[in-house]
Amino acid sequence: MSMLFRWLIFGFAALLFNFPLLSTLLTSLKSEGEIVSNPSIIIQSPTLANYVKIFEMADRVDILPFLWNSLVISALGAFFALLLAFPAAYVIVRTGFGRNWLLPFVLNLRALPLIIFAIPLYMMFQAVGLLDTLLGLALIMCIINLPLTLALLSSTLRNIPEELDDAARIDGASTLSIILRIILPLSVAAIASSSVLGFVYAWNEFLFGLMLTTKSATPITVGASFFFSASGGGVKWGVASAVIMLSLLPPLIVGLLFYRSIGSSLTGGAVKG
Amino acid sequence: MQVSSKEKFWLTAPITFFLLVMLGFPLLLDLIYSVSEVTFENLLAPRLQGFENYFETLQDPTYWDALAFSLKFGLTASLVQLFLALFLAIYLEPLLARHPWLMAVLMAPMMVAPALIGLMYRLILHEFVGVIPYYLWEWVGDSPAFLGTENAFLTLVTIEILQWTPFALLILYTAYRSIPSHLREAARMDGANSLQLLMLVELPYMMPVILLTFFIRFIDSFRVFDNIYVLVGSGAGGTSTSLSIYIYKAFFRGGNIGQAVAASVLLFLAALLLIALLERFSRRMETT
Amino acid sequence: MKKMSTKLGLVLLVSLFAVKSLWAQVTVLGWPGGPEETALRKAVEVYNAGPGKSNGSVNLIFFNRDGFWDKLQADLAAGTTEFDINLTATYAVGRYAPYMQPLSLPSAAMDVFGDKVLKTMQFEGEQYGVPTDLSLHFMYYRNDLIDKLLSDAGWKKIYGEISQKYLGKTLAPKNPDTWNWEDYAATALFFTKSVNSASPTRYGTVLQMKNLLFNMMIWHSTARSHGGEWLDANGNVMVDSWAVRQGLQLYKTLYDAGASPKDSTSYEYAEANAAFGSGQAATMLQWNAAFGSLNNPEENPAVAGKIGTVAPPAGPAGRVTHIHGLGLGLNKNSKNKDASIKFLNWLSGAAAMETYALGGGSPAMAKSITDKISGDRPDLIKLGDFAGSYGFVMNGGTSASALQIYTLQAEQFTGYWSGTKSLDEALQATSKGMADLLK
Repeated sequence: MSMLFRWLIFGFAALLFNFPLLSTLLTSLKSEGEIVSNPSIIIQSPTLANYVKIFEMADRVDILPFLWNSLVISALGAFFALLLAFPAAYVIVRTGFGRNWLLPFVLNLRALPLIIFAIPLYMMFQAVGLLDTLLGLALIMCIINLPLTLALLSSTLRNIPEELDDAARIDGASTLSIILRIILPLSVAAIASSSVLGFVYAWNEFLFGLMLTTKSATPITVGASFFFSASGGGVKWGVASAVIMLSLLPPLIVGLLFYRSIGSSLTGGAVKG
Repeated sequence: MQVSSKEKFWLTAPITFFLLVMLGFPLLLDLIYSVSEVTFENLLAPRLQGFENYFETLQDPTYWDALAFSLKFGLTASLVQLFLALFLAIYLEPLLARHPWLMAVLMAPMMVAPALIGLMYRLILHEFVGVIPYYLWEWVGDSPAFLGTENAFLTLVTIEILQWTPFALLILYTAYRSIPSHLREAARMDGANSLQLLMLVELPYMMPVILLTFFIRFIDSFRVFDNIYVLVGSGAGGTSTSLSIYIYKAFFRGGNIGQAVAASVLLFLAALLLIALLERFSRRMETT
Repeated sequence: MKKMSTKLGLVLLVSLFAVKSLWAQVTVLGWPGGPEETALRKAVEVYNAGPGKSNGSVNLIFFNRDGFWDKLQADLAAGTTEFDINLTATYAVGRYAPYMQPLSLPSAAMDVFGDKVLKTMQFEGEQYGVPTDLSLHFMYYRNDLIDKLLSDAGWKKIYGEISQKYLGKTLAPKNPDTWNWEDYAATALFFTKSVNSASPTRYGTVLQMKNLLFNMMIWHSTARSHGGEWLDANGNVMVDSWAVRQGLQLYKTLYDAGASPKDSTSYEYAEANAAFGSGQAATMLQWNAAFGSLNNPEENPAVAGKIGTVAPPAGPAGRVTHIHGLGLGLNKNSKNKDASIKFLNWLSGAAAMETYALGGGSPAMAKSITDKISGDRPDLIKLGDFAGSYGFVMNGGTSASALQIYTLQAEQFTGYWSGTKSLDEALQATSKGMADLLK
């Protein structure tokens, strides 16, 4: 009985949160004519024409490279941030070293509109040949992801009892092996969440994708409007909806995969006080 | 016994080095810009002029309006997100634990770039072609001006909440699940009922993560840009200018780079202060 | 499986470190998405198959439309060599002039475009671009509704009463091509449900009042037709004038009376088209570019075939429409200037522009050329006519700070329309801001 209520609440929340997506899905299945004449949720004549249109344009603009670029940039961006933040989080939590300068500085980055770094970074990237490269954008994503990753990891590591470290140390383990063999396995959930969230943040980034690319490394957020802008600043709503639905798939799949690992790591009882 | 200072150095060196390389130069250049008269034409040769940019920013009423807007927006959005997510995380836990894939359904909205979400709401909320006004006209015979000056704030905040509550939900749910089971068992043994368990054991255990979630969501909502910009620009008469929009406009549209950077530096300092206060606050909490 | 992953890994590596290949080519940065892109592709195809073979071929790149000008600004300021030729616009020509190289187009360009159109790409007497597309505004109206208004005695009577009540004088319906702003206002009010319960449409007109610089351009025709101007002959700001007030009050009156949709303060191009396209608005002041899509039965079944377009209504100072152009000019830092200039010179010729127009672009050209292609592009004749007879650019509208001025006006004027600022406050702030920008 109480499970039924939970299903109801879940259904309600899922509908509410996903309302724009569901509505977009419906729009993507309507013809341009129907979109302006029939706003209701009943589609009179469902069509895949908007999706077909995207791929018909492939000789002019191809959506696949945009998706690929975003995938690489986001995955690397999340990975780099983990790589840098994990050892630092360990030191900060266990020794307090960096707690007063590194942590606040990094967390603070999140509060800043990164636009102010756009011009200096542009010049820097230009000088070292990183403009319009996937690596260059992945490095930026790493900056964007660091605050969240570091915060999540620190808060998780704080909950891992220090006695575990001490016990291992008595057995003669080095700090590195403690990190790799004890702390890392206990942080799977946090690693999974920060990977998912880092990936999502990077996937959604627009400004630097726009500023620092011209053609080779353009991510989907920037490439999207090539498909649906019409003359005079108009929007082809049907195609726009279809592009949005397509660009939603990769992060959704990644989220699903990683989310499963969060679930299994928890049910496996890895985190036990 | 402890981590040696050499190890401390080597474990924090990568991130420090990375930040120095990636942000050292930009930060330095920005600091110079903030005390210079600089436009796009003299990027490489800014004219030093002292702290005028800072004074101008502090005297600009629209800067304060933007700050107030962002604070109000950030607080409203993050608090609602936090409570909503906390409720869902705890209430739905038995369901989500049994069917982990349900979480992916709830997480979907985060996967869409806020700019694209904004774009879609332009269609959804449109009086003639949007689905919401359509049904309102059908059922009630009228539909409010969702993006008119008087309703814009509420609409924008709602959009932000609906998109980002899943974020808070994900973190809080992970935290809730990682509460060690022996804590619960001990509490039950002492005869605690569900409410007491929640208030006296579970929530206190989750408190650091709750604060962290609030902090992250506040910061993110505070620096809101894309969805607002796409939906209403900076609002009629500038009424929905968030601080990020203010800085973006000063930077690109106003071509006033020095002032944009000065505004950011002020924000950075304010945020540092806030973090320092939070830090002190949380330490006091830890000791009590 | 293993092979697959090695392959993926290789692709990843290569794409990570991909060095941009160095073709001896001219790279053109164009305006993405709409017909401008299609037209440019068509023209470049013809060029590459012909003169491009010996002159150096042309390839195209595009940026996202959102943030296009900001990205371009960053690129140019940093001295990019990613493109040789880039887009420019009337309202931005002064802003980008420091990073671009003036052109000396072949004298034939004067015969193709005429002085008025070439001027939309000039700054301080120098030509900075080939004017490829011209934009101006039409008064869109519903033929069917206006026809009935002009013939139905009952409607005429109500029209007279409404104009008396709201505008203080009894007016009779007129043909849209002879409208002044009062006629427009009366018509808009007549077709508004909340004013006239017998109205077949919910709203009489659609105004774009979002805080957006492009919306200011549409509005400018109201001020200019009353004699409004940005700067006087000595360069002093004269925006706080009777004429500008008339224009601002017109919008405010119509919006407050409910003649334009409630959400108009968040309307831009796409929203306005959707409102008019739904068949629930009788008139609309809108860019010329909207006609094709609105009149297409596939896209807008409710209104296609029932749309009339004329120049905006007249004011005491005549009948005008704000014009601005998009064009292509030369990046100062280009490493390929000779080949680029050859392409731009070719593009400014009659044959190239004909191809461009047939490809979907909207160049404003001499009548002799538009007549030739009138079978395929009848709308270009109107475009050329209107630009020639009614087109205006505000004094200062091509200056280095034009973009900022439009932005400032958008912020202040929308404040007045939405009721957060008084008319005096908005105009004072605009005058002061403009004076600062033009210092």
